[in-house]
Amino acid sequence: MLGILDLLGTIGGSILGLPGILGMALGMATRNWALAAGLGAAIGLLTPILLGGSHSTHVPITTIEYVVSVLIGTIAGLVGCAVRRKGATV
Amino acid sequence: MAENDNASPRRGFLRRIWDGFWSPTGVLSTGFLLIAGFLGGILFWGGFHWSLELTNTEEFCTSCHTMETNLGEYRETIHYNNHSGVRAICSDCHVPHEWQYKMKAKIMAVKDVYHEVLGTISTPELYEERRLEMASAVWRKMKASDSRECRNCHAFEYMDFTLQETRAAENHQKAIDQGMTCIDCHQGIAHDLAPGYLEEYRHVVESLASASGIETGTTALAEVRAYLGERTE
Repeated sequence: MLGILDLLGTIGGSILGLPGILGMALGMATRNWALAAGLGAAIGLLTPILLGGSHSTHVPITTIEYVVSVLIGTIAGLVGCAVRRKGATV
Repeated sequence: MAENDNASPRRGFLRRIWDGFWSPTGVLSTGFLLIAGFLGGILFWGGFHWSLELTNTEEFCTSCHTMETNLGEYRETIHYNNHSGVRAICSDCHVPHEWQYKMKAKIMAVKDVYHEVLGTISTPELYEERRLEMASAVWRKMKASDSRECRNCHAFEYMDFTLQETRAAENHQKAIDQGMTCIDCHQGIAHDLAPGYLEEYRHVVESLASASGIETGTTALAEVRAYLGERTE
């Protein structure tokens, strides 16, 4: 039960953090699906490196954090791209 | 009348909202939309953050009936009343400061509401039955994060051992030397401990070590086990 909650919490934190928000914003900057997914994935990969772990402790960032962050970043990028294609003519 | 007969049927309300949402605006400039979006974003984010901070208050945390027991215990500790007048409230020890981990903690806290509704720990007897399990979950989280929430305020680097009691100074130096973390010794710092807590804590340490691939013979784990062994005796 705690394992599922932990995963859901990690996913929620990513959606409301840089992978979700900046990933979608970058996705909205292009009509190219692959580029949008790549930009989102890059932000997802960078986020744990830049903001993960802790400022005061030396806690290693877990693989699941990286995986969730990259996945959420990729999906956010694709959603952003869909918004661009649906809502803009340029 | 003939025109009306030939017209396509009126589309549904939701469909019209959807189409309107995605249609280019004919009356608003790009600048207007950008400024309005920017202001709306600030208002939304400010409101979101304000609401989030409200959920960090002691009043919010203890507004549930099931929190009465641990609130009473916490009020007897040094984190509630002390000579310096600095108080650590629930969120200081249970909610990380870093944004993504804070959001994670908030999402995971939904289980507290679920169990409040179910009445899982609604009586003192039920609470005592679950005390060790609840404590164990918090210890596991703290051990895995190197007691991140403790270190929101405390750090070995800021400690002046000459001002501490001899026993405390010796144990803190030992903790630094042997790579131990706050929760290795301070399990009952804010709430009462359940019988068998040392065995449960040892289980937490060993299961985390095996999950992360740390060999049970490493210095830190061996020292924690030795320390827990000393306390048991």
